Amino acid sequence: MNRIQTKLQEDKKLLSIYFTAGYPNIDDTVKIIQDLEKNGVDMIEIGLPFSDPLADGPTIQDSSTKALKNGMTTELLFNQIKDIRASVKIPLIIMGYFNPMFQYGVEVFCKKCQDIGIDGLIIPDLPVDVYHEEYQAIFEKYNLANIFLITPQTSDERIKYIDSISNGFIYMVSSASTTGAKSGFGDEQTQYFKRIDDLNLKNPQIVGFGISNNDTFTQATKYAKGAIIGSAFVKHVTNKGVDTIDKFVASVLN
Amino acid sequence: MNENKQNTTQQVPSLSGRAREGLALKICGMKYQDNIEQVAALQPDYLGFIFYKKTPRHFDTKIPDIPNSIKKTGVFVNEDLNTIIKKVNEFKLQAVQLHGEEAPYYCNMLRTTTLLSSPVEVIKVFSVKEGFNFDVLKEYEAVCDYFLFDTKGKLPGGNGYTFDWSLLNDYPSTKPFFLSGGIGLDQVEDIKKFKESKAAKYCYALDVNSKFETEPGLKKISILREFKNKLNNKEMQQYNVDEKGYYGEFGGAFIPEMLYPNVEELRQNYLKIMAEPDFQKEFDQLLKDYVGRPSPLYFAKRLSEKYNTKIYLKREDLNHTGAHKINNTIGQILMAKRLGKHRIIAETGAGQHGVATATVCALMGLECIVYMGEIDIARQAPNVARMKMLGAKVVPALSGSRTLKDATNEAIRDWINNPIDTHYIIGSAIGPHPYPDMVTRFQSVISEEIKWQLREHEGRENPDYVAACIGGGSNAAGTYYHFLHDEDVKIIAVEAAGLGVDSGESAATSVLGKEGIIHGCKTLLMQTQDGQITEPYSISAGLDYPGVGPMHAHLAKTGRAEFLSITDDEAMKAGLELCELEGIIPAIESSHALAIFKEKQFKPDDVVVMSLSGRGDKDLQNYIDYFKI
Ligand SMILES: Cc1ncc(COP(=O)(O)O)c(C=O)c1O
Repeated sequence: MNRIQTKLQEDKKLLSIYFTAGYPNIDDTVKIIQDLEKNGVDMIEIGLPFSDPLADGPTIQDSSTKALKNGMTTELLFNQIKDIRASVKIPLIIMGYFNPMFQYGVEVFCKKCQDIGIDGLIIPDLPVDVYHEEYQAIFEKYNLANIFLITPQTSDERIKYIDSISNGFIYMVSSASTTGAKSGFGDEQTQYFKRIDDLNLKNPQIVGFGISNNDTFTQATKYAKGAIIGSAFVKHVTNKGVDTIDKFVASVLN
Repeated sequence: MNENKQNTTQQVPSLSGRAREGLALKICGMKYQDNIEQVAALQPDYLGFIFYKKTPRHFDTKIPDIPNSIKKTGVFVNEDLNTIIKKVNEFKLQAVQLHGEEAPYYCNMLRTTTLLSSPVEVIKVFSVKEGFNFDVLKEYEAVCDYFLFDTKGKLPGGNGYTFDWSLLNDYPSTKPFFLSGGIGLDQVEDIKKFKESKAAKYCYALDVNSKFETEPGLKKISILREFKNKLNNKEMQQYNVDEKGYYGEFGGAFIPEMLYPNVEELRQNYLKIMAEPDFQKEFDQLLKDYVGRPSPLYFAKRLSEKYNTKIYLKREDLNHTGAHKINNTIGQILMAKRLGKHRIIAETGAGQHGVATATVCALMGLECIVYMGEIDIARQAPNVARMKMLGAKVVPALSGSRTLKDATNEAIRDWINNPIDTHYIIGSAIGPHPYPDMVTRFQSVISEEIKWQLREHEGRENPDYVAACIGGGSNAAGTYYHFLHDEDVKIIAVEAAGLGVDSGESAATSVLGKEGIIHGCKTLLMQTQDGQITEPYSISAGLDYPGVGPMHAHLAKTGRAEFLSITDDEAMKAGLELCELEGIIPAIESSHALAIFKEKQFKPDDVVVMSLSGRGDKDLQNYIDYFKI
């Protein structure tokens, strides 16, 4: 069982936080990871910045552009976190777009992840069937969970297929949107969360997109195992820097 | 009499010879003059004219001049022998197909009568269904050249009126036969399988008709062509998209799950919708009446003299809205309507696609939002104004290089946020499958027309070269489409070199790009070592894109197309030259293509067909600034 699976067994609602590596400053990566863990975050998504992040709204587009300007690269990120497992125990996931991984070499990338102690990958623009046909064997060889997204428009049949080839959790996108586009949930979302809950999937679901505070965290986790905060956290470090991560996490959890 | 018979037999190609080449093709139910010429240009083996009055395909006009190699076939049902003889002589028919209860002696009379000015092949039709008694064929063996097996009954299982070909397993004769009845594009795979089977041993030809029509008697050329090519298997799949959406190693649909339902809906429906007679009719009608097609194929005499070769310009600049882009937006708006979408989004670079989209949205009364890079908004101001006048909302893309790539990102994000009611009209042969193929098919009308137009000019369908500029590659894809598999037609693709390929300010993707993923497809892509997409540069907004469509990546990789890069300066000069020599102000995109005549030497009798993709009105300010006019 890898760290993600172990974590998912804990009897609590999980909070996962996304941040963009290399932002606001190029060397913030390790400090952000350590502070998040110290303050009770359950899982971390390390964003590998991409020039053209299609699934992201303006907040993460900006943080990605700045991180790249700061000089972030795949190699540099791996270097920054090469000793991360000496200090951090919680699951770490890399979230990024496919092209940088493709250029790095998918297998080399996966091997590097395993060496460092990365537990999974989220690649929004790597479609399920391409993964299944071309890359699943590589991911499994290096013991990496691949996390797939589902949306309110994803059919039950497809969700079941995604569930069948997932081995961690399913990333449940709260509404049809890019990241950071909407905040707050209405009846529609609640019904969707419930619909998915009723499917009794083998992989637990974690909700992402549109979660920014304690309110939305509580709503999102009513029917799901946990929730992911991205844009709201990126905004926080944009406005307040990286020294008050404790306050941000506390405001979500309490 | 004997002579007659011998002649007839001689005309029958030996079966084994045929079998090696593939099946002969008969296209039946011809009616309209122009259409007959176009179909004849596809060089089928037989063309059928139905002289039976009680059918909408009844033929009652003149047969235009068509090559003798195509056998003109008269189709009759229990007709009076004298009438047949009259028709054969009048129309110079080379074959007669008998669809009624004509008896063996009757067939024999046709073969032996001296009243015919020249002998005819006799094809006797039999309706085959379950329980068909093949014994009836026996007495016809000696008096016919071919049998034709047709079906009337509808089969369970939904494959229309095609009969169960395995019935022919019991075929007791060695007489070559035509296979007929409900054959369409969908049957190509079945036909290929059938060809391998025992039942097909004596199958000589396929007979097609209604599955290739826009209306009774009016044949759809592009689909016939596709059918013929697919059937002949001339490495046909090699340059076209495969079932999974790939051109060789390029293409696919690398999209976030949020886009999956939309793209999948399109993928499942686009070919079906495009094949609907209603759709084709509306599309063709709008291209004709609204866009002004066919666009002329113009022999550029003075330009040809200057470069000592034969240059034809395909005048897409004369289309409504001033470029080829409208061919695609007409197609896609009809598609969007059939998919029940009422909000339309688009990206645009030069503004031509934005204008073409705003235009069709106005035409159909649909909401239109166009994303355009902030830089392009500044350099293509007239087009921004046009879009606004046409009722579109123009949203500036403020991220990245603020050009076409970023406008495309924004449009995709919009689609993610509006998954139910919105259709994204991509403006080039790029994006996730099925977009590159769909856009290419809509644009393929360009090469479809070139074929018959060139026949009028030069007496042949195939030029020596086809050339076009490439931004994402839609005008090029349309210009190449029907020549892709004729290797004697050389393909030239022209990219924008900007300030020079090695200057760091360029958009020459085939030179500077590596395999990568952009906007949902795997293709050649300008990017950093680290896989970040780089910002291209060209003076021409429409070519200022860091990728090329996956079809072109494949053409580059396989060497099927020759890629040339043209700098800003070379393009601007070529644009001005066309103004001076031919009185045509080209779009700067098209000027890039025109500049190849300084780069590459053509032979005096080479026929070069070039896509003049757009007119230069939108670029006037650029020309003014550049030449200090
Ligand atoms: C006149 C003209 N030609 C060519 C292009 C390039 O596009 P494509 O490569 O899709 O034909 C554009 C794009 O805006 C254009 O406006």
